[in-house]
Amino acid sequence: MNLKDCYNFDDFRRLAKKKLPAPIFHYIDGGADDEVTLNRNTEAFNDCDLVPGILNSVGEPDLSTTVFGTKINMPLFLSPTAMQSLYHPDGDKASARAAEKYGTIYSMSTMASFSIEEVSSISSGPKIFQLYIHKDQSITDDLIDRCKATNFNGMCITVDTIVAGNRERDHRTGFTTPPKFNLESLLSFAMRPKWVFNYFTHKKFELANLKDKTEKGTNIAKSVMEYINEQYDPAMNWKDAEYCIKKWNGPMALKGVMSVDDAKRAIDIGCTAIMISNHGGRQLDGSRSPFDQVKAIKDAVDDKLEIILDGGVRRGTHVLKALAAGATACSFGKAFLFSLGAGGQQGVEKLLKNMQEEIRRDMILMGCKNISELDSSKLIYRK
Amino acid sequence: MNLKDCHNFSDFRKLAKKKLPSPIFHYIDGAADDEITYQRNTSAFNDIDLVPNVLRGVENVDLSTTIFGKKIDLPFYCAPTALQRLFHYDGEKAVGKAAQKFNTMFGVSALATVSVEEIASLVNTPKMFQFYFHKDRGLNDAVLQRVKAAKFDVMALTVDTITGGNRERDLRTGFTSPPKLTLSSLFSFMSKPMWGINYLTKGKFELPHLQDFVKEGTSTTTSIGNYFSSMLDQSMNWKDAEKLCSDWGGHFALKGVMSVDDAKRAVDIGCSGIMVSNHGGRQLDGSRSPFDQLAEIVDAVGDKIDVICEGGIQRGTHILKALSIGAKACSGGRLYLYALAAAGQKGVERALNQYRLELERDMKLMGCTKISELNRNNLRFRNK
Repeated sequence: MNLKDCYNFDDFRRLAKKKLPAPIFHYIDGGADDEVTLNRNTEAFNDCDLVPGILNSVGEPDLSTTVFGTKINMPLFLSPTAMQSLYHPDGDKASARAAEKYGTIYSMSTMASFSIEEVSSISSGPKIFQLYIHKDQSITDDLIDRCKATNFNGMCITVDTIVAGNRERDHRTGFTTPPKFNLESLLSFAMRPKWVFNYFTHKKFELANLKDKTEKGTNIAKSVMEYINEQYDPAMNWKDAEYCIKKWNGPMALKGVMSVDDAKRAIDIGCTAIMISNHGGRQLDGSRSPFDQVKAIKDAVDDKLEIILDGGVRRGTHVLKALAAGATACSFGKAFLFSLGAGGQQGVEKLLKNMQEEIRRDMILMGCKNISELDSSKLIYRK
Repeated sequence: MNLKDCHNFSDFRKLAKKKLPSPIFHYIDGAADDEITYQRNTSAFNDIDLVPNVLRGVENVDLSTTIFGKKIDLPFYCAPTALQRLFHYDGEKAVGKAAQKFNTMFGVSALATVSVEEIASLVNTPKMFQFYFHKDRGLNDAVLQRVKAAKFDVMALTVDTITGGNRERDLRTGFTSPPKLTLSSLFSFMSKPMWGINYLTKGKFELPHLQDFVKEGTSTTTSIGNYFSSMLDQSMNWKDAEKLCSDWGGHFALKGVMSVDDAKRAVDIGCSGIMVSNHGGRQLDGSRSPFDQLAEIVDAVGDKIDVICEGGIQRGTHILKALSIGAKACSGGRLYLYALAAAGQKGVERALNQYRLELERDMKLMGCTKISELNRNNLRFRNK
């Protein structure tokens, strides 16, 4: 199996599974607790059906939309995800270049493996930065200043990760603190010599945005859960978010909003967008899926916020349904990480091409000329 | 696999399966008829979603709650279960000491294998005694007096077990108490020699609350189903429950209430709480799950008595959902029994600690710092 055999999410996932050491694959693939929410995020799309219109002289549909003050060529972009160089040595550089090529947004995680400056220097495509609010405010301030200096288009503050989720696959594979690689996982690394070779011959693994501010971030295992629990501020509140919004003074989203009340409050503190998300089912298991919740939020905030649906998106039709239910755009993490693991920049490009073609085909089949024609009349919920 | 590999309910179950002779494992693991209710008890939690709130400042989480007039540090506790020394030679002593360590309620079954006196001497945190109403009124009175003398905090009368449930796994494995070696189960007992050695060397197996009255206590083997059907009084009615409640004179609960009408009646006869329970799916298969039934009951009596959601709980989020509906606390048997079988007191402590950590993490992710902040606004039913 190789990249040209990858037609959909499952194919990219399978190829990534072949290429990545098991602990790393399962870090992407796993969710919290029983993974009920992880599964529901995608299943939720199947509880409602699309109703196409016909004979609409569709021609070539316009897939573009505007989020974070930026026009993008399709209503789908890359979610911020940590430590991308674990999946491919080019990491964030590969995904940023692929996104640029398809005219959509690349999002950089606070815990990216390349720095804000490095990625800005290799891609002039639209970029947003995902911000974790740190206990040490100077770290947060520094990140905002650097994004300003490098002309990032927008920012989002993650609000659903005040404590690390219970990802049991990571306990079992040893992707945890301190590194406890068991026989099985060592074997898994040994069987993927190419990954190991790349890992040791490319740039040293680090949390590039944070390395000058903290001694953490050079050790894979230490860098994730422990970093979250040590550095992120569980006392984080609305004032802290408001402070960051004022300081940034540009398009800003809260990432991880699920309740209607919180969505309304996001308007009050000056957000321009929210990302409805449960962190890909990796935090609170049993949490509602973004698609199940999007309509209620849209009804409450109307056009006062851009709504980005983040979680469970694997198909063009998922994007269409999300937009019809009220989202401005969708973002996805797992899907593109598998494509990155499967084939680096080429892999991500192939995925984005697949998705662009699916969305385009589905728009034509729905009889829609542009995405504003996708509204709630195009959806019927099953009872 | 050993204890440190146990990260969740199903891990403990797997380890217990490895350690226990199969008739004993299946006695815990099985339920009535087709086990539909048993499965539903847990899957019911997945038909409803949590909706968290963000940016609430959640450094410190307080999980304490008050049930039956007692403040406990966790909103879940160890439900009374029978025959614990079959699962681990320390039996109730192990569970009681673990519960004490976490300052939560410990339920002791009428069919316990350690006496209330011994438990009282070991455990000074809140304790509940679970009562079966026997045909022999002398036995009933004697048990009541002993539990009173041992200063237990709560008496819970089981009302869903007037006859033994149809537990077909037990019929197949030949599970009896004390265990009888049948040809089919012989291999299983032989393949778990540690269990056998402990069973034979760590003190005689007995039912201390019943042995003076009942031949089934120690000498003769009997199936649990037989015991319920022959010894318990099937004519038990509301009058009997009311009399027991007033004879006890303290916090009194009915365990196994499922209908709203019965919940209201429990208030009328002077109960201070009820356990919404179907006996872990072990009695009437097809019975509604406690979580599915919880909202109706809380709406009817939640402001008058403590409503406990019992059954199917395997995760911190399950507890969170039940409390959001309005339960005062949750309880469970399998919740800690697999852990008991897996590693005795240490196992139960690890299980309780995991649920505590899960719940604490889940509270933070929900944006809540106190149990009282959980309410139905935190929940959404699908497609509504």
